[in-house]
Amino acid sequence: MRLFLYFSETLGRNVVDKNNQFIGRLCDLSMLQNQEVFPRTESLIIKRGVFYTEYACIHIEDVQEFKKTIRLKIHHTDITFKRKSFRCDFSLIRDIMDQQIVDTDDQKVVRVNDVQLLRVDQQLYLAHVDVGLRGLIRRLDWTKMVDFLVTLFSPKSPYLKQEELISWKNTHVLTTGRGKGALRSDVARSKLAKIPTAELADIMEDLDIFEKFSLFKTFNVDMQRKIFTDMALPEKEELIDQLSDKEAGNLLENIPADEATDLLNNLPKEKTVQLMRHMHSKTSKQLRKLLGFAEDSAGGLMTTEYLSLNKDALVKDALQLIKDNVDYPGNIFHVYIVDEKNHLVGATSLRRFINTTPTTPLMDTCYHNKTFVRTDDGVEEVALLLEKYKFSSIPVLNEEDILQGVITSDDVMEELISLTWKKYKDQL
Amino acid sequence: MKKLIGTIRNSKPIRNLLLFLAVMGPGIITANVDNDAGGIATYSLAGAHFGYTLLWSLIPVTIALIIVQEMCARMAVATGKGLADLIRENYGVKLTFYLMLALFFVNLSNVMAEFAGIAVSLEIFHISKFISVPLSAFFVWWLVVKGTYKSVEKIFLFACLFYVCYVISGFIAHPNWEDVFQQTIKPKIEWNLTYIVMLVGIIGTTIAPWMQFYLQSSIVEKGITIDEYKHLRIDVVGGCIIAPVIAFFIVVACAATLFQAGIRVESAADAAMALEPFAGKHATWLFAFGLFNASIFAASILPLSTAYSICEGMGWDAGVDKRFEEAPQFFWLYAAMIIIGAGVVLMPRFPMLTVMYLSQVGNGLLLPVILILMTLLINKKELMGEFVNTKKLNIITWFTVGVISLTTLIMIIFLIVYH
Repeated sequence: MRLFLYFSETLGRNVVDKNNQFIGRLCDLSMLQNQEVFPRTESLIIKRGVFYTEYACIHIEDVQEFKKTIRLKIHHTDITFKRKSFRCDFSLIRDIMDQQIVDTDDQKVVRVNDVQLLRVDQQLYLAHVDVGLRGLIRRLDWTKMVDFLVTLFSPKSPYLKQEELISWKNTHVLTTGRGKGALRSDVARSKLAKIPTAELADIMEDLDIFEKFSLFKTFNVDMQRKIFTDMALPEKEELIDQLSDKEAGNLLENIPADEATDLLNNLPKEKTVQLMRHMHSKTSKQLRKLLGFAEDSAGGLMTTEYLSLNKDALVKDALQLIKDNVDYPGNIFHVYIVDEKNHLVGATSLRRFINTTPTTPLMDTCYHNKTFVRTDDGVEEVALLLEKYKFSSIPVLNEEDILQGVITSDDVMEELISLTWKKYKDQL
Repeated sequence: MKKLIGTIRNSKPIRNLLLFLAVMGPGIITANVDNDAGGIATYSLAGAHFGYTLLWSLIPVTIALIIVQEMCARMAVATGKGLADLIRENYGVKLTFYLMLALFFVNLSNVMAEFAGIAVSLEIFHISKFISVPLSAFFVWWLVVKGTYKSVEKIFLFACLFYVCYVISGFIAHPNWEDVFQQTIKPKIEWNLTYIVMLVGIIGTTIAPWMQFYLQSSIVEKGITIDEYKHLRIDVVGGCIIAPVIAFFIVVACAATLFQAGIRVESAADAAMALEPFAGKHATWLFAFGLFNASIFAASILPLSTAYSICEGMGWDAGVDKRFEEAPQFFWLYAAMIIIGAGVVLMPRFPMLTVMYLSQVGNGLLLPVILILMTLLINKKELMGEFVNTKKLNIITWFTVGVISLTTLIMIIFLIVYH
């Protein structure tokens, strides 16, 4: 009895019930994603019919013997066939065979030609994946012919012995396509972590965006930062698109500022601003300078940390928001009301709503006039407006009326002081 | 000043144009390579033997081409994978292997035709094929192995400009434009066998199996993302319109001269030579140069595209930037295509016509399979996400695929019966 067997050789085997009645042919194995190193087969998927195909799922416990013909312990009337395929953790045909995986030992992306199963007391384990030429030939059913020809012409050819098997624990399966959950194995992950980041960036290059994303997500923040730095610019952009704004913002904050600017320069403006909202003000300020907002313009002065709510918010929401953000380094006395696209709808301050009933819509407490500055307005203009309306902060909008950030009076003060000093020095 | 440039760059039309220029390439190149040596021969014969009467067929062919190529582009951006990859992952290794085997032989015979095109077109300029073919083969190898994706793409885009040769020769031939437009819009279909064989030939040469693989891989290689899809579509549709327009002028040039005079020609080079008495030496030169440009252009792309597709499908490492030991299969395939393709042209008494015949049959058998697989793939929601085919589009797609498949099968029957 062979301990190891190839999955491709078991495919299409006849399945019979306990009375030797033919049921169908093996067409797939569904695997159990357990905590063990090697996944265990949960059930056999059997197909019958040629033009009108139906599938049945048979638990591994119901299998009597797994030989040239597969004999079951149950009677054929106990099996129900369905038109559709079955849901499962993962199946060999759908998720492993012919798919790309990462070989964590040799550190490259390979395509699976075959799977080697390990048989231990009526259980089937996924032990190795075959990525070699022999596996390919086996899938094509040419093994006998090719072996014969090779022995004939060069009996010592390495081809005859050479199996390119990779142990399952040294592989990392990638999410393929959309919506499929990534298969995770902790062993693989710790292995992956040992690969130098430059090599990983190379591996990533061979993957499509969904696979890339799934692989990327398995790393910790530190690794992510390192890999990200090693990636090519278009790849970075792709990845940023896939990540949530918050994740992307965090990531950008942790890479060198010049690289972050290069990247942000290539993204649409709105996206840039959204990402900046998730960074600390110090970083985002630095980035903005690099992104080309003049230092003494509103765009250069503003901070992207502000409190905002949507149109339907009530006063109590605003109060709660302020309470939640007591530690917030920005100005928390003003709350801005924005629509879905971050257009500024209105502005209000703590002073205006602290004494109203909590159920009043926040919109009712807004200032009557919308006061704002544009990103390219100068510092003097900002200062004048702040003084005129006695505001402690003022919103900054771009040409499309989208809220970009706010300027607080102390930001302006700082800039004005340095300007005054400069003038004073020039006079001396 | 800097601000001014900034505002100009950020204005919508300019920004769109810049984005389009960045994306442009795959669609236009693929469609132009489609007018290769074989294509030019077909269009020349169509014009020379049937006058303007086949011009109308270019309109439905354009629509079919757009539908098919757009599918490839959509799959490329939605999945980030080549067509061979997708077929392997969804339909298993067996089908992929036999498809790739067929693709290899069909494309190999196409490469032979391209090198033959180089040989005959340069013979018009009195350059011996024993000089032109080896030099071209070397050029093809050098271009791809020493170039980068970007530089090669620019050279290819530049080569696309030379197709204007055919437009000029179309005008030099002084066709009766009124007649041309009449025939394009109101076709007079002849119901005889030779006419239908020619018609089917035009469809077969315009929509080829290799294009689908090449277009999809080159979009993936270029790293075009979902956001850029809008601009990519312009590139693809634009290419699908430009290619038949060039074909249109080839047909017109031959129809206005050779058909009027009742001269029978057997190949594109024949047609070029026969043009001289009617449209002058320049027309012959333009025609011959156009044929040379098209042939060498296609000879540069076909071996590379084939080697890529096969390695992709079989799971072998591929890429011109790899070392030989890293991707031996890729380099063997690539070298084999060029060496065999160029070698047979230099071989005396090589049965070129038989090979071309077999290649057409192979093309015809391969195309329906690939088109059907593509349509099945593009209907997989788990693969395509929001880019999956809509119901309306599906009806159009299946109809187009059905018509193309049917006509190519008819062509095979004709070919076999008449051989």
